[in-house]
Amino acid sequence: MSKTKTPRELGLFQAVIIGLGGAIGIEIFVLLNYATSLAESRIVLALFVCGIINLLTMLSFCELGAAIPRVGGEYSYAKAALGGFLAFLTGWLRWIGNVFGAALAAIGFAYHILYFMPLDIISLDKSLLTTLLAAAVIVVLTVLSIRGVRQMGTIIVIAFIAVFIIFIAVGVSRTRGLELQLYYPTTFEESSGFVAAITYTLLMFLGMRAIAAGGAVMKKPGKNIPRAIILSAVTLIVLYCGIAYVTISVVNFDTDVTRPTDLPLSIAAGKILGDAGALVLTIAGIIAALSSLSTAIMVQSSITRGLSRDGYLPRSLLSSHRRFKTPYVALIFGSVFYILFAATGVLEFIGSVAAFASLLGFALVNFSLMKLRVKKPYLQRPFKVPLYPYTPIAGIALSIILLVFIEPRALASSIGFIALGLLAYYLKMVGYHRIRIAFGGMSIGLGGFTTLAAHLVNMNYPLPFALSPQFARILFPILVVISVISILAGVFNIISKN
Amino acid sequence: MNVRKNVVMFIGITQEVIGVFAIAFACVLYFNIFDTRINLEIPFEHVSFYILLLFVFGFVSILSGLFLIRERLELGGGNS
Repeated sequence: MSKTKTPRELGLFQAVIIGLGGAIGIEIFVLLNYATSLAESRIVLALFVCGIINLLTMLSFCELGAAIPRVGGEYSYAKAALGGFLAFLTGWLRWIGNVFGAALAAIGFAYHILYFMPLDIISLDKSLLTTLLAAAVIVVLTVLSIRGVRQMGTIIVIAFIAVFIIFIAVGVSRTRGLELQLYYPTTFEESSGFVAAITYTLLMFLGMRAIAAGGAVMKKPGKNIPRAIILSAVTLIVLYCGIAYVTISVVNFDTDVTRPTDLPLSIAAGKILGDAGALVLTIAGIIAALSSLSTAIMVQSSITRGLSRDGYLPRSLLSSHRRFKTPYVALIFGSVFYILFAATGVLEFIGSVAAFASLLGFALVNFSLMKLRVKKPYLQRPFKVPLYPYTPIAGIALSIILLVFIEPRALASSIGFIALGLLAYYLKMVGYHRIRIAFGGMSIGLGGFTTLAAHLVNMNYPLPFALSPQFARILFPILVVISVISILAGVFNIISKN
Repeated sequence: MNVRKNVVMFIGITQEVIGVFAIAFACVLYFNIFDTRINLEIPFEHVSFYILLLFVFGFVSILSGLFLIRERLELGGGNS
């Protein structure tokens, strides 16, 4: 294979814009509501800590991104460093995080559109309307992605920053004199709420990893990458903390934000800049949602193709559109999941699952970095993480600590998604025939269990639930049929040819 | 043999149906449709256990049935 040198053309300014463009999305518009309910006025401090934690892992992303300049992000890094199940898990987590991130953006879009709709003249239920709007925007953007329409660029990023700066500047001048408690959490409840808010708001900074993707084409990467990372992180921390400060200063979260669809940023803009301000912030929210969703759609299709290329997902997902040359099967595949998760309409749940996947992915990226330093010490690294190994160790430790504070339902669901990934992985590694034998064995086991249940029903043995004699007479033959079918199915699966 | 292929197909489809019914019954139990929980006198604290049991049973049945149907449709059930 011939090796061509990639021209290094990205300067510091472009790198910072890439980082900010990746990070500024719908998250700041929709996550602030729940995060504030968790951390209360400590949300400003939570965002600051969150930005610092994010910075630690971003440094690892950049070392890996510059050393392994391949499409696929963390999946490629983990494949080079760890291989096997951990590499697959990293890709799988990125996919989960991306799908839930897309669902979050779609719901965020729906909330912002609902802001313009006078609900008293709409007969539809608000949650149904949210689902319909979210599904509609997913379908439209998937179709546009299939047709090869690209995402937004530098001007939009600068426009966003300008809107936020105006919001913060006017907000700070109007709220001058208001006392805001920025005290540290003291009780256990305050501390757990504070850490949970850090976990939940992590999504706001995640997009910064886009800098890592540009590492391979950056001028003077050894200098520019850390500068770009630190500048982006500082800009984001200042912007987000400023936005949160102004918002909690002017919005009463007990009276002004009563429904999940209420938008704290728009309400705050309405209070400090009037109707025009609320309108601008709501339009900004819509643009942010569209930007986040279109990025998530493209990234999802890239991860899906990577996983199917390596045999973990069906090969048909690699198909390209004959006319537009876009991965239409992978795009449609992802959009089905976005709609499914957006239909739940529970923003906190979706955000928490995305945070879980990202945090575990963070831990794996840091681990990949450490492993790669040992495995390939002579690999060309245009940029190296400072204070190694303390930085990646701190990244791993903090990611794992934050995982504990994920909302319990989201934690349980996330573990379920990992189990699904495990199944997909072992289907590939163990092979179809062995999996079939395993299911054959389980089927025979269930058949045996059903036979026992049938016997207990027939013998009128005291059961933990009530069965009328008539119902028991009907149930017995049904259970016998089920047990026979299960046992036969198990036997046929076991004796099948490879 | 054709008889084996047809038996495999029949068992596969029946197991699919059983699996779907098990999951449907779990949903009936969860949403307490037709007052099932009251009629079966299932204590509230046991409901999640029964739902889990039914879901596992349904999931295994559906996958096991799918393996058999796939064998019949795609692999032709072997040349025995």
